Amino acid sequence: MSNDGSSGEGGSNFDKARRNFLRGVGVGAAAAVATPAWGGETFQDAFADFFQKDYRRMSAEEIEAALERIERRAKRRYDVEIECENTPPQQGVVFGYAINISRCKGYRDCVHACVKENNLGRDSQIQYIRVLQMDQGDFNLEHSDHYYDPETVPVEGKHYLPVQCMQCDDPPCVKACPVEATWMEPDGIVVVDYDWCIGCRYCMAACPYWARHFNWTDPEIPAEEINTDTHYLGNRPRPRGVVEKCHFCIQRTRKGRQPACMEACPTGARIFGNLLDPDSEIRYVLANKQVFRLKEDLGTEPKFWYFSD
Amino acid sequence: MTVVRFILDGIREMFRGPREYWMWLGVLTAVVAFGAWSYSQQLTNGLVVTGMSDQVSWGFYISNFAFLVGIAAAAVLLVIPAYLFDRKDIKDVVLIGEGMAVAAVTMAILFVIVDLGRPDRLWHMIPGIGRFHWPVSLLAWDVLVLSIYLLLNLAIPFYILYSHYRGKEPNFRLYFPFVVIAMFWAISIHTVTAFLFSANPARPFWHTALLGPRFIASAFASGPALIIISLQIVRKVTSYPVSQTVIDTLAIIMTIALQISLFFVGVELFTDFYNEGAHAASMHYLFFGLGGFASLQIWIWLALVLNLIAVVILMIHPLRKNTLLLNIACVLAFVGIWIEKGMGLVIPGFIPTPLGEIFEYTPTSVELAVAAGIWAFGILVFSLLAKAVIAIKQGHLHDRAMDTKYSL
Amino acid sequence: MSRGRNKIRRRSGEHSQTVRPDRANRPSSVLLTSLGGLLFGLGLLIANAQEVTDELKPLRFEGYPNAREAAIVPRKDDLFFYPCNQCHASMEANPEIRQLNAMHSVELDHGLGRIWCTSCHNLENRNYLSTLLDEPVDFDQAYLVCGGCHANRHKDWLFGAHGKRVENWQGVRTLYNCTHCHDPHSPAIKARAPKAAPPVRAGLKLERATEHVKSRVWDSEEEHEEQ
Repeated sequence: MSNDGSSGEGGSNFDKARRNFLRGVGVGAAAAVATPAWGGETFQDAFADFFQKDYRRMSAEEIEAALERIERRAKRRYDVEIECENTPPQQGVVFGYAINISRCKGYRDCVHACVKENNLGRDSQIQYIRVLQMDQGDFNLEHSDHYYDPETVPVEGKHYLPVQCMQCDDPPCVKACPVEATWMEPDGIVVVDYDWCIGCRYCMAACPYWARHFNWTDPEIPAEEINTDTHYLGNRPRPRGVVEKCHFCIQRTRKGRQPACMEACPTGARIFGNLLDPDSEIRYVLANKQVFRLKEDLGTEPKFWYFSD
Repeated sequence: MTVVRFILDGIREMFRGPREYWMWLGVLTAVVAFGAWSYSQQLTNGLVVTGMSDQVSWGFYISNFAFLVGIAAAAVLLVIPAYLFDRKDIKDVVLIGEGMAVAAVTMAILFVIVDLGRPDRLWHMIPGIGRFHWPVSLLAWDVLVLSIYLLLNLAIPFYILYSHYRGKEPNFRLYFPFVVIAMFWAISIHTVTAFLFSANPARPFWHTALLGPRFIASAFASGPALIIISLQIVRKVTSYPVSQTVIDTLAIIMTIALQISLFFVGVELFTDFYNEGAHAASMHYLFFGLGGFASLQIWIWLALVLNLIAVVILMIHPLRKNTLLLNIACVLAFVGIWIEKGMGLVIPGFIPTPLGEIFEYTPTSVELAVAAGIWAFGILVFSLLAKAVIAIKQGHLHDRAMDTKYSL
Repeated sequence: MSRGRNKIRRRSGEHSQTVRPDRANRPSSVLLTSLGGLLFGLGLLIANAQEVTDELKPLRFEGYPNAREAAIVPRKDDLFFYPCNQCHASMEANPEIRQLNAMHSVELDHGLGRIWCTSCHNLENRNYLSTLLDEPVDFDQAYLVCGGCHANRHKDWLFGAHGKRVENWQGVRTLYNCTHCHDPHSPAIKARAPKAAPPVRAGLKLERATEHVKSRVWDSEEEHEEQ
């Protein structure tokens, strides 16, 4: 590139070179902004994502924009059109759950229905529900087997206990979070803002029910199995490095549908409903059955009961 | 401006020295670079490159964090005798101790950052633009107290050294209140760190009122161990006078603290094993294995043996006065407490899980490399700070503007 | 009944004659006392007759008070052979307990021999089931038959503590019939293979515990016995 500064036709070589350079920079800048070059994101989305406020402080427009970003990201990542919503809680509803443990046979249908419904990462190996197998006459969790794999269930002489997030009314995880990325919604569900969580995992240490799980890597969901009906606080595809947990299928339950685990249970062991409705099934169970909760003495006030009959 | 000159002179001093000094910096920098490269792998692939899991969700990084906060807090063991008991000999080295505190806090903060799943979201903790869950979250408390402790340990020495640099006496009435604050603050950073663990009824292994006292006792045993060794090195490689009485005082403090620390271990063992219930499962796993799993057993017994040998050496006056034996005791105690308070504290809290599962944890090479990089970085910071501190205290570093002002 | 009547009259008659011998000698008091006894006995009879009639009036199950509204998922469409009268209208009803040799014989494993086909199936009209009181019940309301013996379970089911609610947790309650999950001829839920055990985090291996801790007192007792 000669640059003697002499002007000639169309300007000097230096001028030409400079123009070409600036043109290239301009094109490059436009490309950098618009194309998914930032770890699979466009620059706009990556920028907006970085500065996104926490859920409870976003305006309606900001939430809309965030939902659209999530949908775009899913399209880029999995080539699937998803719908991400922000269904608000219903008035006068606080969710409660009860499991009849004499009906649970240990099938694990609930576990796998949840994995499908909530777009759980197959590679990060997260499962919100864990079913424990214990000897009859023994309720010591330390003697339980989480990895039972017999020919058929129920195994003679064993009983089964499914455990998931208890949606505590005094949740220790909410207290632990240093950035308030997890809180209890008005309808009783303890939710996580996956775009606000910094991944410190203190909440996981604080949870007495081992209900919170971490995305150690990018969650891998087979594109053909993605559930496209999603909620911002629920089953929308999550990023790496954040905590997640059972949210009572918020994308379903806020619209009156059953959580996937309840729908999947073939024995009807799972009962779910509105604790504030005195005519609900859950209230009938609490009034007429001998219910108990796990680790009652810790004072976490789970909204998840067990009974047997 | 004098302040700018002071800072620039200080930095220049840090990067000036004999060949051995440069080799030292070079080695440390190489380890730091290796650690940084390993960390970049972690950033690329996520925390899946570590050995942590949903079952054991905190590992080697937080183990080192807990230990290092203790080391940082132990700087107060120099500050108290220096300023409250007016020990001139200790006052001469107190700034070096505060330099160690700065290095230790920096390392602690770095260990937390490398443990985060989303370090790009650190700004979420800034009050106002983020959400800082203070005063409810213990982690928020820890971030707050550590940051302020770092500031205190930077600001006070800065002021004192800056005064020396300008040839002036630092105004005692100005900085002493901050020194007093720093004394209480040192205890508080480690108590808050203990509360971080003990606040969780979900983890019976940590959920004991004794954890706070245990942390302080073990900090006051391991911190002086490091200071004793470091001061001897300073005495050897620089011309800076470190009085033997400093070492003796620290050795006595360390002896008492180690005795108390071992007493606390005994108390915990009795309380858990006399009527052994489910809450003792973690302790049982740690010391005796559980369900066929016992990967930490050899380590905790080693730690106990090391601490016992150290405390015996320290308790016997003639042995403690022997420099070689004292140094051996320091190394044994430091390593023993690092094991007991690091992995021996954090990992058993997760085994068994709240649902009774036993899932073990082993740090991966990435974790070890990143940890080594952070330790090297801390030692590097300490070396640089000590270099500048010594130069200023010895009068080698002073404001040259004053020279020209008063020269003919 | 008539025996009771006689008993009452005779008893009062004998009493008034034997208890007070002095007064009994006066003819007017004897007459009066006998009349009193007769009237008394008549009164008792009338009163008891009323009670007896009330006692005899049968109670019929009319559902639970405060029953919750529910739509029950029908079953008839899922029953291959329904309507049963296609064949059975032309067949004679045979109430004898025997091994059936029918086209659709089922293995009856319900109640360990306490019941037989006609315990639930209506012998008169095979398109219906029948309660313990021989009331006809439509196949879509089979729960009324099950509830005859399993009353507590029936109540739990209706109020939501048992069985399966489908479609939603809010709004119209849609419940599965008992027979949706329980084959009425062999109602116990059968064992089946479980779904896959939980995985561990990518990159880590599962080490299963080698010891299965037995904590029940009789476990060690049994071990001692074996020794």
